[in-house]
Amino acid sequence: MRPRFVILLVAVTALLAIVPIVGSPVMVQFGISTLLFAVLAQSWNIIGGFTGYPSFGNSVFYGLGVYGTAIAMAKFSLPFGVGLVCGAILAMLCALLIGLPVLRLRGQYFAIATLGLSVAMAAVFSNIEIAGANIGLILPLTRADGMFYELSLGLLVACVLCVFWISRSRFGMGLIAIREDEHAAASMGVNTTLYKTMALVLSALFTSIAGGIHAYFITFVDPASAFDSTLNVRMVIMTVFGGPGTVLGPVVGAFVLSAVYELLANWISTAAALLFGVVIVVAVIFMPRGIADLAAGIRRQGISYLLQNIRRYRL
Amino acid sequence: MRYTLTLLAALPALILSAATLAQADDDVITLGASVQQTGQQANTGRYYADAYKLAIDTINAKGGVKVGDKSYKLALKLYDNQSDVNLSVRQYVQLITADKVNYLLGPFASNYALDDSSVAEKYQIPMVQGGGASGQIYARGYKYVFGTLPPAEDYYASTIDMMGKLDPKPANVALISADDSFDVSVAKGTREHLKSAGLNIVVDEKFAENNADFASILSLVKSKTPDVILWSGHETEALNFIRQMKSLDVNPKGFYAFTVGVPTADFRKALGNDANYAFGMTTWLPTDKLPDQWFGNAADFAKVYKEKFGYDPDYHAASAVADVETYAVSLAKAGSLEPPKVRDAIAAIEFDSLYAHIKYGENGQIVLPQVVVQIQNNELMPVYSTDFLNKPQYPVPAWGERK
Amino acid sequence: MLLAQIIVNGVLLGGLYGLMALGMALVWGVLNIVNLAHGAFVMLGGYIVYYLFTTLGIDPLAALPIAMALMFAFGYLLQYVVLNQIIRSAMLNTLLITFGLDVVLTYLAQLGFSADFRTIAPSYAGANFGLLGITVPVAPLAAFAIAWLLAGLTWLLLNRLPLGRAIRATAQNLVAARLYGVNPRRLYAVTFGIGAALAGASGGLYGMISHLSPYVGAPLTAKAFVIAVIGGLHNPFAVVASGLIIGIAESLAALYVGPTYANVISFGLLVLILVLRPSRALRAA
Repeated sequence: MRPRFVILLVAVTALLAIVPIVGSPVMVQFGISTLLFAVLAQSWNIIGGFTGYPSFGNSVFYGLGVYGTAIAMAKFSLPFGVGLVCGAILAMLCALLIGLPVLRLRGQYFAIATLGLSVAMAAVFSNIEIAGANIGLILPLTRADGMFYELSLGLLVACVLCVFWISRSRFGMGLIAIREDEHAAASMGVNTTLYKTMALVLSALFTSIAGGIHAYFITFVDPASAFDSTLNVRMVIMTVFGGPGTVLGPVVGAFVLSAVYELLANWISTAAALLFGVVIVVAVIFMPRGIADLAAGIRRQGISYLLQNIRRYRL
Repeated sequence: MRYTLTLLAALPALILSAATLAQADDDVITLGASVQQTGQQANTGRYYADAYKLAIDTINAKGGVKVGDKSYKLALKLYDNQSDVNLSVRQYVQLITADKVNYLLGPFASNYALDDSSVAEKYQIPMVQGGGASGQIYARGYKYVFGTLPPAEDYYASTIDMMGKLDPKPANVALISADDSFDVSVAKGTREHLKSAGLNIVVDEKFAENNADFASILSLVKSKTPDVILWSGHETEALNFIRQMKSLDVNPKGFYAFTVGVPTADFRKALGNDANYAFGMTTWLPTDKLPDQWFGNAADFAKVYKEKFGYDPDYHAASAVADVETYAVSLAKAGSLEPPKVRDAIAAIEFDSLYAHIKYGENGQIVLPQVVVQIQNNELMPVYSTDFLNKPQYPVPAWGERK
Repeated sequence: MLLAQIIVNGVLLGGLYGLMALGMALVWGVLNIVNLAHGAFVMLGGYIVYYLFTTLGIDPLAALPIAMALMFAFGYLLQYVVLNQIIRSAMLNTLLITFGLDVVLTYLAQLGFSADFRTIAPSYAGANFGLLGITVPVAPLAAFAIAWLLAGLTWLLLNRLPLGRAIRATAQNLVAARLYGVNPRRLYAVTFGIGAALAGASGGLYGMISHLSPYVGAPLTAKAFVIAVIGGLHNPFAVVASGLIIGIAESLAALYVGPTYANVISFGLLVLILVLRPSRALRAA
C-alpha cells in the first residue's frame, strides 16, 4: 500500500470523525446507519467474501447482539458497554456452536442452513420471557447521537483494520485457499475447520456489536426487527456491490448504496424503490466484480471496461 | 481506488445539500410526517397520507389557524418511508432538524410509532399520532407523544360486553392472535376480559406473523366447537382466515370477530359475499352524529374523502384527521408556536371532532370505546357500543346454509 | 380424526408449495440462478389470472394456461435481454441482479395493480366436500392435482423430448451443449421461461386459496427456496414431494408444537437433512 493512499484514508477517516461537530443532525443519523451497514457488510465479507461461505446467518449474530445488549440494559439495568460485551459473547458462542456442524456444508447449502437458523432464532426469541417475548423490549432514551456515531465509526475502523490484517496474514491466505479449493487447502496443511470457524466467529463479533449499538440507538427491540433476514440480504448485496474479498470494497459498497437509497428516498420519495432496483440491475450488468474492480478497470481501460465486462460474462 | 475515495468524500456533501432544501415562510406552520406510501404497509399507510392532506387543505380553505393575532396556513411535509422502519426514524430527524417542520404527525402501525416517537421526545417536538395503539408507546413516560387510537388491551372489551346480552348467550370462546407486539397485547387484555366475564377459553392459539395458512388452527377450532371466535392480527391474515374458514367449513355456533379488516372497504371488496356476517370493531363510523368544526360532520367528511381519493375512509383516516385538528385547536389555545407551550395545550384540550370527542389521557393516549360492527348484506352496520345500536345477525348461519 | 384432518390439510397445501418450488428448482438446477424474483413471478401470474377472471370472465382454471404462456414470454425476454448478459459471472451476482429485479417488479406491481388486496374467487373457491369425516377443500385439491400434472409434464419434457435433453446437457456442460449444435442463449431463455410459467401457474392457484397483493412474493421465494433444496434440483417429482413433506410438517407443527414454530420446523428439518447427509448436498453443489 502506497503512503499517499494511506494518508488519504486517514484523512477521510478524520473527516468522517468530525461530522457530528460540523455536520447537521440529519448527516449524523445517516452516518450512524451507513457506518453500521458498512460494519455489517465488512463482517459478512470475512466469511462470505474471503472464505467463500455465503452466510445468511449473520442476521442471527446481529439479533443476538441486539438482544444481548437489550436484555442486559432493560432487564438487569447494566451499563451500555457491558450490554455490548454480553451481546458479543452470545453471538460468538452461537457462531462457535453452529459453525462446527453447519460449516461442513458448501455453497447454497450453507446459505440455506444458515437462513434456517435465523428463522429459528427469531421464533425462539419471540417465545422467551426474558427477551420480553413478542412484546419486545424498551431501552432508555438517550440524547447522544454523536456518541453513537463515533462508536459506529470506531467499530468500522476496527473492522476494516481487522480485515486488512486478514488480507495480509497467513490466516487470510488460508481462508482464500479454502474459498478457491477447500480440498487442496486441506491437503496443503490448512486446518480448514479451525480457519472457517474462526472466520465465522470474527464475523459474529463485529456484527453483534453493530446490532448492540443499533438497539440502544433505536430504543425499541422486537424479534421481527432484530432477526430480519432481509438485513442479511442487504449485507450480501452491499458486499457484492462493492467487491467481495477486498479490503475496502464492502465499505464503499455500503456507503454508495446507502447514499443512493437515502437520496432517492428523500428526493423523489415514492419512486425510490424502483430506481434503487434499477441501479442494482444496471450495476451488476456493467460492473459484475464490484466497485473495487470498477475503479481499477476504468483507470486501466477507461469506459471500454464496462463493455468488456458484458463481453466477458455474457452467454 | 482513488476514484472511489473521491466519490466517498463527495457523498457527505451531497447529503448535506439534500438536507437544506426546505425553508419555511413565516406565516406557514408546517406539519411533518413519514408514512408508508409504498411497501408492505402501503395499503393502510395511504389512509394517513391522504387524510393528512385533506385535513390540512380543508382547514386552510376555512381560513387556517389563528395563533395570537396572526393567521397561519398549515402545510404538510410528507416522506414515504417505504415501509422501512429505520428509514422512517431518519426521516423524522430530517423533518425536525433539516426541514424545520413545526410539529409532527405520526406514521402507521405500533412498531413504527414506537421508534419514531423516541425521535419526537429526543428533540422535544410534539407528535400527535393516530397509527399506533400499543400501550408501550405510552408506557415510557414521554411528554411529547399523543395518540388517537385507544389501548390495544381493551379492543375486545365492548364485544365481550355484548356477548353477555346475546341470546343464546355464548359460553365457549376460541382466541386466536398473531405473535407480534400489538396482537399479543390485544390477546393478553382479551384473556382478562373473558375471565372477568366468566367465559371459557377453549382454544388459545398464536400464529406466526405473515402466516397465510390457518388450516391447522381452523381444524382444531372445528374439533372444539366453540361458540365464538375472537381473532386478532393483520388485515391480510384476516382475509385468509375467512377464506379458509369457508373452505374448511368451520362454523362457530355464535359468531366470529376480527380486530382489523371488517371496517375497511378494500377488505370487504376483496372478500365479496364471504365477508358477510363477520363481526369487527371500529372506533369510528361515518355518521352525522359526530359534528366537526371544519368538515361539518363525519358523514360529510366521508363523502368528500371518497370523492377526492376514490375509496371509503375508515377509522385510520378519521384518526389521522383528528391528529391534524388537534394541532389546529391547540395552537389557537396555546397562543404561541413554542413547542413546550403547544405540548401543554394539547395535553389540556378537549373538543369534538369528526373522529370522536378528543381528550388525551394522562399518558397521552386517548380512551375510546370500540363500536362492534358487523357486515350485513355487504354493508357495514354498527351493532353495539354500550347497548345494541342495530340488531346483530346472530347466530351467524353456517357456510352451507348461506345463499 | 383431528390428526387425519391436519395431515390432509398439509398434503393439499404442500402440493401448492411444491408447484411454487418447481420453477425455482428448474432454473437453479439448469442455469445456476437462484432467482430471488421467483416470488414476484408467482405474484404476477396471480394478477394475470385475477384480471382474466374479473374483466374477461375466464374461469381461473382455464386462465392458468394463458397466464403460463404470458409468463413464459416474460421470462424468455428477461433471460434473453438481461440475465444472459451476466450469466457467466460469479454466482452471487445472479442473486444480486434478481434481488434488483424483485424490487423493480414489486414496485411496478403496486403502480399497476395498486396495493389493494385481491382474491380470485370463482364460485368453487370456498367449496368443500366431506370424506370419511374429513373436510376436503376443493381449491387446494385442484392445486394439488395441477402440481402433480405439471411436475409430470416437466419430467416428460426433460426426459423424453429433444429440447429437454438439450436443456439437461446444458446444465451439465455448456461447451458440450454447444457441440450438439444447441444455441445456448435461446435455450437458457426457454428454460427460464418455463420456470416463470410454472411460477405463474402457482400464482393463479395461490390467489384462489389465499390473497394477492404486490408484496406476497418475498415469503414465497423463501419457501420455494427451501423446498427446492430439500427436493434436489433435478427431479420434478422429488420437488413436489418435498413440498408435501414441508406442508405436512408445518401443519403438524402449527398445532402440536405451537404455530410460531411452524417455520422453525420446516427450516430445522432442512438443516437436519443437510447436516446429516452432507455428502448428498456436496455432490449437488
